[in-house]
Order: sequence, then structure tokens, then C-alpha cells
Amino acid sequence: MQSGKSAAQTVATVKPLQIRGRTFTAIALHLSGRPDRAFFEALEARLNQTPLFFDNAPLVIDLEQAQGLDGPQDLVHLAAELRRRKLSVFGIQSGTPTQARAAAEAGLISLPGGRDAALERVSRQGSRPEPAPAAAAKEPANRMVTQPVRSGQTVFADRGDLVVVGSVSSGAEVIAAGNIHIYGRLRGRALAGVNGDASARIFCHALDAELLAIAGLYRTSENLGPDTPRHHVQVYLEGEVLRIEALA
Amino acid sequence: MSKVIVVTSGKGGVGKTTSSAAIGAGLAMRGHKTVVIDFDVGLRNLDMIMGCERRVVFDFINVIQGDAKLKQALIKDRRLENLYVLPTSQTRDKDALTKEGVKAVLDELRQEFDYIVCDSPAGIERGAHLAMYYADEAVVVTNPEVSSVRDSDRVLGLLNSKSALAEKGDGSAVKAQLLLTRFDQNRSASGDMMSVEDVLEILAIPLLGIIPESTSVLKASNEGTPVSLDEKSPAGKAYMDAVGRLVGEQIEMRATPGEQRRGFFQRLLGRTA
Ligand SMILES: Nc1ncnc2c1ncn2[C@@H]1O[C@H](COP(=O)(O)OP(=O)(O)OP(=O)(O)O)[C@@H](O)[C@H]1O
Ligand SMILES: [Mg+2]
Repeated sequence: MQSGKSAAQTVATVKPLQIRGRTFTAIALHLSGRPDRAFFEALEARLNQTPLFFDNAPLVIDLEQAQGLDGPQDLVHLAAELRRRKLSVFGIQSGTPTQARAAAEAGLISLPGGRDAALERVSRQGSRPEPAPAAAAKEPANRMVTQPVRSGQTVFADRGDLVVVGSVSSGAEVIAAGNIHIYGRLRGRALAGVNGDASARIFCHALDAELLAIAGLYRTSENLGPDTPRHHVQVYLEGEVLRIEALA
Repeated sequence: MSKVIVVTSGKGGVGKTTSSAAIGAGLAMRGHKTVVIDFDVGLRNLDMIMGCERRVVFDFINVIQGDAKLKQALIKDRRLENLYVLPTSQTRDKDALTKEGVKAVLDELRQEFDYIVCDSPAGIERGAHLAMYYADEAVVVTNPEVSSVRDSDRVLGLLNSKSALAEKGDGSAVKAQLLLTRFDQNRSASGDMMSVEDVLEILAIPLLGIIPESTSVLKASNEGTPVSLDEKSPAGKAYMDAVGRLVGEQIEMRATPGEQRRGFFQRLLGRTA
């Protein structure tokens, strides 16, 4: 009883908790049938090509083409194998009801079906072998793009700032763990601080964005308002509010 | 040195085939040995627009699959000495195209032709990808409307990432230029359609030409004549100018007939030269 009372007191003294929406990019791993040795060998080969990109990447298992894989043990085993390879698996998608139950028992959540983007589009540069030594894996790595980011493309700086020398088209997406600098017009989507860095900012020469997000808090073109500055702007978080301000 | 030029757009029906035929004929008229290849497997529009549909015996797919020699499939144009067409098959689908097959055919054509013009199918799937994959240059055909511009932008992204030149990873790139077609000065001025400047601002590539909307295009295609052979057609003239620019000549961006704002186009030329 004593402990119950102190818990109640504690609750009264902490700030009311906050629940906020958050979007992030995950990797979808499509299985076709039961994962066998050949599967894990192929997976390892793929991971070795771009170790940094996949390092602790949030991952969902897509079971659309693996209907037979529905025992809890199957998923527990698969999740363990993936985690052993430093993939942060957290859920399944496109599963049958049986698979969803098995996933729940294996501690995985079931996501509603979504549309995947091709991985090349998620990380066009990540798909080339990166020369950085493994020891430097956690160092921030900025990324520079000197061509326009075209509709349908996604550029992801997963461990640092992203600099785009050129415009970001409508239907294109630029994402960074850190800040995003666009020396051009932003017509598409820009998501800065995607790993939760609320101090990240977005800078652009001209603003015409479809979506702006910092640390998961976002505004879309609809709620930017008519008197939003459109030229030489920075976007930053002030508490809960995404501020858009002309640079002096 | 021979050049492979893909005529591509993403969006359908914007004028790729019309442009491929007109550019091919224009290059041939200027004395360059030119072949136009139809990559739109299953539809086969190019040979109709070029007026040789009744002369097709073997096609591109037959050559890729080894059922015919390239020489058997090439159709020589009746009007122009230097012009050839490599028609596609109407009965197969685009899965009959393979990367290796396309490469082999292009390599063989490169031995003999100055220009190889590839008429791409719409979309960004297999057929369109293979049409652009081995290109040295791209003519991006765009209409002055939002959805066409958006699709062209996507195609430019693919050219920058998924072409053989881009995949070399040594900084080589497909040289892409914009061909704005079906342009109507009045509708653009009234805001019904996008302005040339708006399109250029979004796509950020050099302007190869502006082809006016013109009834002579449909007429020419019904007759099976590339519109650039029609000296009276404003669209034909605009195509000939574009061909001149394609081969590296400096040609002023001419105003379309009945159009008064010359200064406007001159400003444009200054921007993109
Ligand atoms: N400048 C123009 N003025 C008027 N009509 C035009 C013009 N250019 C093209 N057209 C018309 O637009 C239609 C589509 O042209 P075309 O077949 O060349 O397009 P396409 O991009 O090759 O189409 P697809 O994507 O189906 O291959 C045709 O009817 C053609 O006559
Ligand atoms: Mg066509």
C-alpha cells in the first residue's frame, strides 16, 4: 500500500505526459517463403554492401509472400537472426490474421499495409559501398547533393546534415538526421531531425514545400498560411511550434 | 562519333513519337545518317507516323531475339536518303526487350549511323527504362501543364541515376534538354497553361525548342510524313530549329507566328544558353 501511495504522489508532481505524432522511414524486408540459409547469405551480402545504411535501421518484415510463416517460433527466430545482424526489427506488415497473432507473441507489432519506396530511392548513394571504416560508423556524416532532387527521388542523410545545391521538386523528399540546407527552391518534402533532434533546422532559398517536418512535428502546404515568408527562410522548432522565419 | 538520343517524357501522349519522327527526319535532311527506333513494343506508332507501316517485315524484337539480321529489319525512308526506321513488334510485349539485346543492337547501329533516335514508350517502367538506358543525350518532351512537367522531372531523376552513363559513377551524365511541345501562346498568356519560364524553372535543363500546337501535326501524321518535312508548318519549322540546336548550332528561339512578344523569347534564350 505504501508503494501505491508514493506512486500517486509522484504522478502528481511530474509534468503531464505528452503524446505526439511521429513519422519516420523504415526499411521493409520482403520475404518470399521461409528464410533459409541462402536467404541469410543473400541478406548478409546485401548488408555488407552498405553496412552503414542498415546499421540499426528500423525494419518491418513484409509477409505478403510468406503466408506459411505463421508460428510464433518462426518469427521469434527470424527476429533474433535479424537483430543479430544489427537490424532493429519492430514489426510485420501484410500478414494474415494468424501471422499477426504470431507476431504479437514474438513481441512484434502488426502494421497496416503501406506503400514501399524502392530502396534505391530511399538511399541512392547508400547503395554504393561507403569507404568509411566501421569504427567511424557513429560519427556524423553530412551529405551533399549537387543536382536537383527530382520528383520521386528521396535523399537521406541518415547521420548528419544534408546540403542540396539545387531545387527539390514537388514529389521529391529530402530527409536528414541533422539540418537540411537547400540552395534552391523547396517544392517537395523536407524532414529534418528525423532521429528526434528537435534543434535541427531547415534552410532554403525559396519555400514552396509540400511538407516541412522537424523531429516528427510537421506542417503541410495547406497550413502554412498566406503570410508565410517564401524567400530565404529557416524553419525551426520553438517548443511545439514549427516556426518559419525569413533570414535577416 | 555516333550519338544515341532518347526521346522521352514519362507522361503519355505528349508528342514523343511525333518528335522522334520530326527530329529523325530533320537530322537526315541535314545530312546525318539517322535511324529512329521504336521502343514502344506492342503499340507500333512510329512506322505509321513515318509512313512505312506497310513495309514492315522484321522488327526490333526479331533482331533482339536473333530471328532476323539488323539489315533485314531496317527500313529505308523513301523520301530521305539518310533516314532509316527500326520498327517494333505489335504482337510481343515489352518483356521481349532485354538490356543485353538492346545493347547489342545499339552497338551495331553505332557502327553505321551518326544519330540513333530512340522513341520511348510512356511511363517509367521497363520499356521506358531500356529506351533511355544507353542514351548519350535525352530530349525530354513536355507539355506546358503540371502533370507533364512533374513526370518529366521524374524522368530526369531516372536519367541521372539509372542510365548506363550515370551508373559509371565517374560523373558522366546523359545530356538532357527540354522540348516543350503543344505550346499555345494564348493559353499560356492567359494562365490556362504554364509559361515557358515556369517550366524551365522547375526542370532546370536547357531549352532545345518550343513546338507550337498546330493542326499541321495531325495532318502530317495522317499522311505518314514527319512534320519537319512540311515547310509551311509552324511546328515543322520549330522542329527544324530544334534539330539545329541539337547538333550544336546557335539558333535564336523564334517566336511562333502570330505571336508578338519577341522580347520574351529573347530573354529566355539569354537564360538558357
Ligand atoms: N505540336 C502539336 N500540335 C498538335 N498536336 C500534336 C502536337 N504534337 C503532338 N500532337 C498530337 O498529340 C497526339 C500524341 O502525339 P504522339 O503520339 O507523338 O505522343 P507520344 O508521346 O508518342 O504518345 P505515347 O505516350 O502514347 O507514345 C497525336 O495525336 C499528335 O498528333
Ligand atoms: Mg509514342
